[in-house]
Amino acid sequence: MTERPLEKHTQLWVGPQHPGITGNMSVQIWVQGDTIQLGRTHVGYLHRGFEKLVERRKFIQAFPIVCRICVPEPDTNEYLLTAGLEELAGIEIPERAKWLRTLVLELARLAATVQALGGQAGTLGLGVVPNWTYTLRDYILDRFEELSGGRVYHMYIIYGGVRRDIPEGFFERLEGTLKTIEERLPALDNLIFDNAVFQKRTQGVGIVKPEWIDEMGISGPTARGCGRPIDIRRVDPYLVYPALDFDVITADGCDIWSRTLVRRGDIEQSIKIIRQIMRQIPDGPFCARLPNMLHWKIPTGQTYLRAEASRGEMGYYMVTDGSDKLRRMHVRGPSYVHGFSLLERMLPGLNIADLSATMVSMQTCPPEMER
Amino acid sequence: MKTHIETLKRHQFEVLWTHQQRANLIQIGIKAEQTLPVLTYLKTHTPFVQLTHYSAVDWIEDNEFQLTYTLTNPQTYEILMVCARIDREAATADSLHKLWPQAVTYEHEMGEMFGLKFPGSPRVGEPFNLEGWRDMPPMRRDFDTVKFVRDSIPERPGRQAINTRDYIGAEAGEKRLLHD
Amino acid sequence: MRDELPVLHGVPPIPEGSQPHARCQDECFLGEKPEPLKYREAIQRIKNWFRANSLHVLAYGTGCGSIELRPLGTARFDMERFGISTRPTPRHANVLIISGYLSIKTLKRVIRSYEQMPSPKWVVGLGSCTINGGMYWDSYATMKQLDLYLPVDMYISGCMPRPEALIEGFAALMDKIKKGEANGYLDYLERLDWYRENQKKIIHDWDLPDYSW
Repeated sequence: MTERPLEKHTQLWVGPQHPGITGNMSVQIWVQGDTIQLGRTHVGYLHRGFEKLVERRKFIQAFPIVCRICVPEPDTNEYLLTAGLEELAGIEIPERAKWLRTLVLELARLAATVQALGGQAGTLGLGVVPNWTYTLRDYILDRFEELSGGRVYHMYIIYGGVRRDIPEGFFERLEGTLKTIEERLPALDNLIFDNAVFQKRTQGVGIVKPEWIDEMGISGPTARGCGRPIDIRRVDPYLVYPALDFDVITADGCDIWSRTLVRRGDIEQSIKIIRQIMRQIPDGPFCARLPNMLHWKIPTGQTYLRAEASRGEMGYYMVTDGSDKLRRMHVRGPSYVHGFSLLERMLPGLNIADLSATMVSMQTCPPEMER
Repeated sequence: MKTHIETLKRHQFEVLWTHQQRANLIQIGIKAEQTLPVLTYLKTHTPFVQLTHYSAVDWIEDNEFQLTYTLTNPQTYEILMVCARIDREAATADSLHKLWPQAVTYEHEMGEMFGLKFPGSPRVGEPFNLEGWRDMPPMRRDFDTVKFVRDSIPERPGRQAINTRDYIGAEAGEKRLLHD
Repeated sequence: MRDELPVLHGVPPIPEGSQPHARCQDECFLGEKPEPLKYREAIQRIKNWFRANSLHVLAYGTGCGSIELRPLGTARFDMERFGISTRPTPRHANVLIISGYLSIKTLKRVIRSYEQMPSPKWVVGLGSCTINGGMYWDSYATMKQLDLYLPVDMYISGCMPRPEALIEGFAALMDKIKKGEANGYLDYLERLDWYRENQKKIIHDWDLPDYSW
């Protein structure tokens, strides 16, 4: 990481108002010709101060705001906050609640992965693919709306379990949605992976070196695209993932192409997992008995909890001090590593036109970088 | 994981306390001046090579900042959480940017949010999230965000706050529904 | 012949008492030969009708509400049937959507984007956060009331508003434009000092030009 750019260079800002940028962030690049010499990530455009806000809200008030930390996939945040505080308070949740949480997490992963697949094609000018994948995502959001009442923010996973049981006939309609997605997948493959433009512009572009993985904590499709089977659901299992049968998809090109392949495989695995949950889910209560939420105090303690989001390892560091509010919460999203250190390492030598494809291939999500 | 803590103690590093939070999460407390040697030892001689997370907690009652380093063993995914407390007035800690490149980002953020100083860290002092910030670092406990908002950001009048206790009590129709 | 008002199909009549803005009328004729008032009104109505049916939204997701803007472009909700499309640069756009909470750092960029857009232009505030701060009412990093800083023509409430609500809001904005009431951009020019004063109150390191042409 050199800090000084070359002497002859042009300085450019990509973003914040730029159609190729993911969300609302900006990358400052120094270019020679159309090759990037040096890049710096700048964030803060979506900063809301969540960590300060949860410090002055009770636990039950803190819970509806954390899902705003990541817009495409809010459920991982809800799960991590609730599970971390349950661990610190020593609350056991019922078996059915665990299965329902897994179902929601996997549905959210599916929605976010489908969206990212379209976004990846969209950055290379294939305009049809995002239109299709957003529609597929919309069908999943319909199921979410049925389940929780919200399209984007669900607030379904709550302390002690989930907010309500599944509605009648939900699994039949969910199966219909999964079938619709499966039917569309061959057409999407045809549009994305058989497309010569996509092949030429992604193979060998945006290389992540495998030796960076352990040192930097790279995870998710970015690590699995380098042939390393790092999946928190497998290596540090949580909820009912040990009871489920799924494959960890890997590819070994280290480039954008491999990451897209991994993501494409993840869609099928998510569908497989959801089908298993629908078959095996046990009966029982969906929420544990909880103390009075207005006076719920959690003893002093600290924990770090992680889960696999569609982008990689999402981690929550939580500290309680015996009062009814969190002492400190710090969110370590996958983009916190991928968007700053990794992206800045990858930028030198990259073509300007490949910048947004590289960024999207790691699913850089600015709201979780700056919160 | 316990054996690595034992070797730490054998190497003259002082482990102040140990706490097992989960089966795969152990927390240890060390002295602030030994932070850099301990972390260097852990990175070079034990499998805990990955800096997964790195953050600060403001313990204003004790007049101290706690720095938490979460290290992961990429083979077994066990977590070792190393905690060190530094003085709140000096607010100076060792920089890890030479050990782990991603520590630069964490230190950059902590430098702005807590006002911590990391001598040698390349980006501390540059703006990260905030622009044109004049007040004290916002994540310190004594920064009152409500007062700041009332003073400096105009609000639309008419926003009212409901006391949750009164509201739920009135809904249930009981005066002594809730107890302390 | 010249005094006759032409019949306008599909153009709603201007209701009593809502005269088109004075500067709206002036800019039509560049001071050449003043036409009779009836013609000015008629031409203004035609212009408004055209403008209302070709809204070009600036593709700038300033907050989390922008995730519901993308489904709006797909076949399911299909905003193109209303003549709404997205544009990548402010020079081609005439609608600025503030999608949700607006941090003070973004407000500076938004002001710049807004001033670069060609007139006539409209601002749509999306979600509770633009109206009164929403759930971030005590956050030190976001603004709490959008109409102090930019002239808002339409607010769409919700957190976050559904795509149907967005379409409803756009339809209401189009009605407003057809009636000639959506004149926020003129208000911004007239009361620029007042807006600037408010903007400078919360943007402490003000380094923008007098007006970002």
